[in-house]
Amino acid sequence: MTELDCEQVLQLVWQFLDGEMDDTRYLEIQAHIAACAECGPRYQFQRRLLALVELKCREGPVPTELKRRLFRLLEE
Amino acid sequence: MGATVLASQTAPVTADDRERFQALAEEHLDSLFRAALRLTRNRTRAEDLLQETFLRAWRSFHTFKPGTNARAWLYKILMNAYIDGYRKATREPEIVDHEDVDEFYLYTKVQESDDFRRAGDPEEVLLARLMDADVKGALDSLPDAFREVVILADIEGFSYKEIADLLRIPIGTVMSRLHRGRRQLQVKLWEYAKRAHYVNADKPPAGSGGR
Ligand SMILES: [Zn+2]
Repeated sequence: MTELDCEQVLQLVWQFLDGEMDDTRYLEIQAHIAACAECGPRYQFQRRLLALVELKCREGPVPTELKRRLFRLLEE
Repeated sequence: MGATVLASQTAPVTADDRERFQALAEEHLDSLFRAALRLTRNRTRAEDLLQETFLRAWRSFHTFKPGTNARAWLYKILMNAYIDGYRKATREPEIVDHEDVDEFYLYTKVQESDDFRRAGDPEEVLLARLMDADVKGALDSLPDAFREVVILADIEGFSYKEIADLLRIPIGTVMSRLHRGRRQLQVKLWEYAKRAHYVNADKPPAGSGGR
């Protein structure tokens, strides 16, 4: 595997953050972004963006009344 | 509809079945409801979709193998119910893609904004100011094909492979939809940030030629 340049590293941001790449490549990118002022902050931002989406889309538990209605269906 | 379909249950139902199903449903109901809310974008329809999912799961509970991935099994039922009854018939929608938008759209916008740069940590300021309704609104605005994969990946935490199985599409399609969905999401989030007057100016950097 040849060494990745910045452009290639940036293209792989989602696969990296999603954990969808093999270990060798993952470690290579990890080392790259730790040292690179161009890619590091961009990766950092995308990571926070994904965390934000997850956080802001949280919902409370299923309403008690709905849950009761569902479980009642099993009794019939 | 509703409860009458239970009559078609083939195997006789024991109290033990019911108990095991209740425990399983109990564990996953909250996250299924969250997914239903985001998929349908509407509380009433989300409740209907959850009930439909619940009933379908109960009817086919005899096919569930204990010890296998219950979450994936339930989400498969949820997505099938959603596709059957809630998604518009459009197959591969024509998709207006922002080809000029890259993966780092939002980061770049923040860096270019004088307003944000004035605040010591511009990225932090932007992210901290985006409200729940902004993020949900941005997600709701995506084309269905993108929205579904973003919901399954970014909110429900499924892998590319799992999403491919849930939606019966190739992994390559999952990736391209997810990546494009996230790009469009950033465009929307930037619009929200501006509309809410978090940002006063959106000047293109000198020499970029604007849009
Ligand atoms: Zn770099």
